[in-house]
Amino acid sequence: MLILESVHTYYGHIHALKGISLTVNEGEIVTLIGSNGAGKTTTLNTISGVLSARGGGGIYLQDSDRNGRGQSTGGDHGIRLDRLPAHEVARLGVSQSPEGRKIFARLSVQENLAMGAFARTDQDGISSDLERVLELFPRLQERLTQPGGTLSGGEQQMLAIGRALMSSPRILLLDEPSMGLAPLLVQQIFQIIREINAQGTTILLVEQNAQAALQVANRGYVLETGNIVLSGAARDLLADPQVAEAYLGI
Amino acid sequence: MTSSPVKAQAAGRDGRASLKQFTRALGAAIVVLVIWRVTTVGLAEGYPASFWISQALNGLVLGGVYALVALGYTLVYGILFMINFAHGEVMMIGGITGFFALQFAQARGWMEGPWPVVVVALLLIMFIGMAASVLIGVTLERLAYRPLRQAPRLVPLISAIGASLFLQYSVLLIFGVSPHSYRKPALISGGLRLGDVFIPYTGAIIFITSILLMLALYFIIQRTKLGRAMRAVAEDRSTASLMGVDVNAVIVVTFMLGSALAGAAGVMLGFHNTVVKFNSGFIPGLKAFTAAVLGGIGNIPGAMFGALILGLIEAIGPSALGIPTEYKDVIAFTMLVLILIFRPTGLFGEVLSEKKA
Repeated sequence: MLILESVHTYYGHIHALKGISLTVNEGEIVTLIGSNGAGKTTTLNTISGVLSARGGGGIYLQDSDRNGRGQSTGGDHGIRLDRLPAHEVARLGVSQSPEGRKIFARLSVQENLAMGAFARTDQDGISSDLERVLELFPRLQERLTQPGGTLSGGEQQMLAIGRALMSSPRILLLDEPSMGLAPLLVQQIFQIIREINAQGTTILLVEQNAQAALQVANRGYVLETGNIVLSGAARDLLADPQVAEAYLGI
Repeated sequence: MTSSPVKAQAAGRDGRASLKQFTRALGAAIVVLVIWRVTTVGLAEGYPASFWISQALNGLVLGGVYALVALGYTLVYGILFMINFAHGEVMMIGGITGFFALQFAQARGWMEGPWPVVVVALLLIMFIGMAASVLIGVTLERLAYRPLRQAPRLVPLISAIGASLFLQYSVLLIFGVSPHSYRKPALISGGLRLGDVFIPYTGAIIFITSILLMLALYFIIQRTKLGRAMRAVAEDRSTASLMGVDVNAVIVVTFMLGSALAGAAGVMLGFHNTVVKFNSGFIPGLKAFTAAVLGGIGNIPGAMFGALILGLIEAIGPSALGIPTEYKDVIAFTMLVLILIFRPTGLFGEVLSEKKA
């Protein structure tokens, strides 16, 4: 459904992504693991259109008739994302829950969720998705009218994921959803990621917590200084001695 | 050696603390001086109560106009963190355009017609002035500010000052130096007399219209999807774009709203002061900026209240302090300096985050 072909991204003169290729298939959870500065967030931001790829390959979103949202495709590859501004990528059903949550602190929880559904006009769909999000995160229900900035870290993370879900995405990009959370909350968040996926949303998950990420994912890619150095089934990566040494802290 | 940075830090802290004490003492001294001057000079004159009421009403009218313009400063600052110093000129162009619309209406005899015709014509004139201001505001954004979006913050500021001068002298070149006189239709000349207090109709209309426009703006910002997107963009542009918000479109709409309010203010000020010329947006623009700072720039209710407070101070100040009315500008800009010294975040301002400060 999402294909990256040899994507290069630069910060000024710094070559941050050195030709990343990866694929996310419909219905999968795919995880991107790696240490600090490996380029995980850069990859997500390049997909979202916050950063722009330069030269070389492309990013493609393939049509799926699931939500009937597909446009006419540009050849076999699907819609090309890397030439579009961020808001148009979002409107195609690629939704990101950014690193550091990036809650709108002065908007209420309800308004934050409404921002997630900004590009939608189907009122019925929006209210049923709101119900679904509040079912997933009952804590948000209690805090609907509170400003987003008053929530705890864990609640903000729930709000960030809930907000991303409100766009009824074809693919959900999660950036470090476990960052800075207590172990019990981390478990809960990964449980919810599984649940969201079971309900039919494709997920690309970026994590430093490689162990937990590989446990929920179908497949994984290991990123090191802008290159993908390993990829495969999550099960195999978990068993890989190289991965174990470098990322699992065993 | 290791202790020297610590020492330096402590010295810095001491320095800041003594500066704080100094500004506090200075503030107290200013308050005492003002009170002394008001009681010994202003109140000693023994003006009747109706005089003070008239002055206060004038102040509210002035404040209403300042508020409309101040909202434009504050809206743009809230989203782009830049001061649009050409905003006063956006208002002036609304006033000039309104003048020509009025001429057109007068030539057609609409201003002598039955009152519904006059009211509709007046609304139309205001609308045309607003449209002209919107056009100028949006053009400014596109040509003078958007190309500098990624530049250091001082750069768009300089561009704004340049745009301000460009607009003033373009109008001077096209329409000449001499002021254009608004001729008030009979319907809104005159005013109400309540005892000794006289309220000109234009004053009452300005105040009421300003309040209505402000309520409309507040509704748009707080209750509509567009307003929600504006607030989201003000907080975090890139995250808002992840939600599918076209940030550039939201910025353009922000300029449109601010400019429309300024255009309305320009036309109403034209009717109230009866003259408008190339530089008649400059001082009101600076005053409105002062009002926005007074209320806490970036804060919408702050701009409204800051403007009303500034209008009142300007109207009452000269008599209260026993100085000539010509010095009212001095009072307004002294306020700006005092606010920047004593409360840089404004009366209703919050502590600015690092990003904005």
